[in-house]
Amino acid sequence: MSLDANRAAPIARVGAVDAVSLRGARFRYPGAIEDAILIDHFAVGAGEHVFVKGPSGCGKTTLLSLIAGVLVANEGVVALDGHDWATMSSAARDHVRADHVGYIFQQFNLLPYLSVLDNVLLPCRFSRTRAARAGDQGSSAAVRARDLLAQMGLGKEQAARAASTLSVGQQQRVAAARALIGQPALIIADEPTSALDEAVRESFMRVLLTACAEAGSALVFVSHDARLADRFTRHIDLRLLNRASSIREEASA
Amino acid sequence: MSELLSLAVRSAWNRRFVLSLVMSSIALSTFLLLGIERIRSDVHENFSQSVSGTDLIVGARTGSVQLLLYSVFRIGGATNNIRWSSVQAIAKSRAVAWIVPLSLGDSHRGFPVVATTGDYFDHFQYGDHQSLTMAEGKRFSGVFDAVIGSEVASRLRYKLGDHVVLSHGDGAFAANDHADKPFTVVGVLAATGTPVDRSVHISLEAMEAIHLDWVAGAPIPGTSVPADQVMQHDLTPKNVTAALIGLKSRAAVFGVQRYVSEYDGEPLMAILPGVALDELWDVVGIGEKALLAMSLLVAIVSMAGLVAVILAGLNERRRELAILRAVGAGPRQVLLLLALEGGLITASGVFLGFVLSALAVLLLGDWSASHFGIALHLHRPGQDEVILLAGLLLGGWVASLGPGYRAYRLSLADGLSPRT
Amino acid sequence: MSSRAWSLRTACTVTVALAAFTGGVVGATEAGRERAQQSPKAAASFREMKWEELVPKGWDPTKGFRARSSGIASDWDPRARALLKEFRVVLDNAPTIETLDGASVKLPGYVVPLETVSGELKEFLLVPYFGACIHTPPPPANQVVFVRMDKAAAGFHTMDTVWVSGILHASRQETFAGNSGYLIDASAVERYVGEPRY
Repeated sequence: MSLDANRAAPIARVGAVDAVSLRGARFRYPGAIEDAILIDHFAVGAGEHVFVKGPSGCGKTTLLSLIAGVLVANEGVVALDGHDWATMSSAARDHVRADHVGYIFQQFNLLPYLSVLDNVLLPCRFSRTRAARAGDQGSSAAVRARDLLAQMGLGKEQAARAASTLSVGQQQRVAAARALIGQPALIIADEPTSALDEAVRESFMRVLLTACAEAGSALVFVSHDARLADRFTRHIDLRLLNRASSIREEASA
Repeated sequence: MSELLSLAVRSAWNRRFVLSLVMSSIALSTFLLLGIERIRSDVHENFSQSVSGTDLIVGARTGSVQLLLYSVFRIGGATNNIRWSSVQAIAKSRAVAWIVPLSLGDSHRGFPVVATTGDYFDHFQYGDHQSLTMAEGKRFSGVFDAVIGSEVASRLRYKLGDHVVLSHGDGAFAANDHADKPFTVVGVLAATGTPVDRSVHISLEAMEAIHLDWVAGAPIPGTSVPADQVMQHDLTPKNVTAALIGLKSRAAVFGVQRYVSEYDGEPLMAILPGVALDELWDVVGIGEKALLAMSLLVAIVSMAGLVAVILAGLNERRRELAILRAVGAGPRQVLLLLALEGGLITASGVFLGFVLSALAVLLLGDWSASHFGIALHLHRPGQDEVILLAGLLLGGWVASLGPGYRAYRLSLADGLSPRT
Repeated sequence: MSSRAWSLRTACTVTVALAAFTGGVVGATEAGRERAQQSPKAAASFREMKWEELVPKGWDPTKGFRARSSGIASDWDPRARALLKEFRVVLDNAPTIETLDGASVKLPGYVVPLETVSGELKEFLLVPYFGACIHTPPPPANQVVFVRMDKAAAGFHTMDTVWVSGILHASRQETFAGNSGYLIDASAVERYVGEPRY
């Protein structure tokens, strides 16, 4: 396992901008009485893998939405790969998100009516930058997609099948491949293993971390399962990071 | 955009069962709208073609539309005839160039019989001032000669020399056949696309001959005259149903019309065919507008169905929308996706409806021509039809913006974590 | 997938509903047509008659008129009008065949409605040719039959062709549409379907 940890050591991009950077960030939902997010400082370096622990209710979803630029902070700076979300129009935010973020849900990641390969290529439909990045080094995006799938343990035959015909474990791997295509600056994984059983979970974690390291993408891995934390060198407890949740706890105490 | 389009197609295909029902309803409403428009324009064209070159039509004082319908289109019946003496008097008028009397009331196997004079073949015109021509044979000369229209010849497979028996009225009873006085087909007219094709033409004398046993308007049984004896009787007509008039100068038309309506021999009226036709369209127009309104309603209902189906399915598609957001689609693109989907379904429906209506014309055109005398033509969509189709497409696309906007709001609200 | 099952169920329901509706419409139409054809009681016992059989042999109402009208050039000469009036009276009083009284007959003809009860025929004149009494003057009385229904018949209109079966009486009626020389108490009125002549 230690060997794996070494191999999974992140390749920091020298002189690269932080993948994620929050400074004095505050967010409150419209009409809410209290802040949902109050974070003084949080940064994820380029290519860094971070395990974020926290039960639901402490602002996990909100934080991820802020990082991905789906929500915009009321105060402070939230930046992705150097782009400050607050300075961009919503159309620009959509563009930046498409170019630089890969997302993995807990389940139901794939469009059932597309093939596995087409699912992996989806981000390239919406971001020319990613398509270009996926297609450079002399091969087309489709070839790169097949390579990624192969890395995930899925062969040519499976690539052609409809996404709905795969098992849950296989679907999550495809989701990982899709998030990774075009080497985005940041991968957000929101409880990606919670729907998988033990045996499958191990292999999934292995391929995910390897592939992220190879691609040089930063990874923000959110989970309530503490056992997975061992694979990560950096751990964040959201209850400690987000002052808003502690304020709320104090208030209700 | 093409990326979104292919995505929209695949997504719609995934839900093709329900969407095909919606598409069928749009196809049906398109079919209805196009069909009504085509029938309307073909009927108008057919009717206008049927009377050309006739300045006035004289008949008993009924309604002008009624007179037009029975004298030119052989639809409906005359309630009164006009006297032969009146026809002769009008013919003597200085302004009149020609007069063609018509006598109606008999039929042959469902086709109307028209008794007239030889002037009919010289002066009757249709379409763009086209005269009648013989496809085969010649005009009637003997008493029991008949000249048939092209439709009669082809439908009943008549050749020159065939015998035909005429019946009084609608010919429902064999007892009303003029069986003892069969006619011989001596001529077949070339096709005109007008009610002439469906008519059997005989001379006025022939009409008298077969009604020699009619006294004071009723047939007296046992008084009929055998065919070989008819020539011994005076076969001058006593009255006719109507008369077509051509004037030496069109400027005289209102003067002659007034003369006819003031004729003191009997109550007569003279109509201008064009004016009467317009009156007919006024009357029919109410029905046409109602039909059109109904079809538009059907179209609106089917669009509403489209919107309802897509809206109802949105909830189930929140996952799909979240995935799209996650791979980089913005809310605007989600809206565009749904609008594209709705536009696609509408376009398929409209196209299907268009094809169906063209097929219907192909298949039913002949049947309609023989049963109603209305020939339906396949032609390139006219301006009205293009407007209709464009309206339908636009309507469907605009309607889909509704669910599109809802999807936009949903995806904004849900962000990356849909509430499913 | 549940959405697929739902779509399937909806489609089946819609198809069944459409079929039921169509069936209902067709059935109602057929029922309407059925009502217009009341099945005759013991059809075999009604003798099919021809209109000529209602005229006494040798009756010629024009006797005497042709000679008197030969000198008159036009039908609208006042002398002609007087003659026509006389002729009309002769026709209206045309003789009937008394021995036919009480016969069970079946006669085909055209309908001239006299009395209808909520759109259903109660009394009508039966005439031998199209347009009689409506477009042209009434036929001679021995060619006009007054028909009486004890149960009104639905679905018949002016100038429809029908078979009337019933008991014939040589009794006269004067109606607003014309004078009839015969009367039939009809037990059945059916839509006329003749033998194919072509």
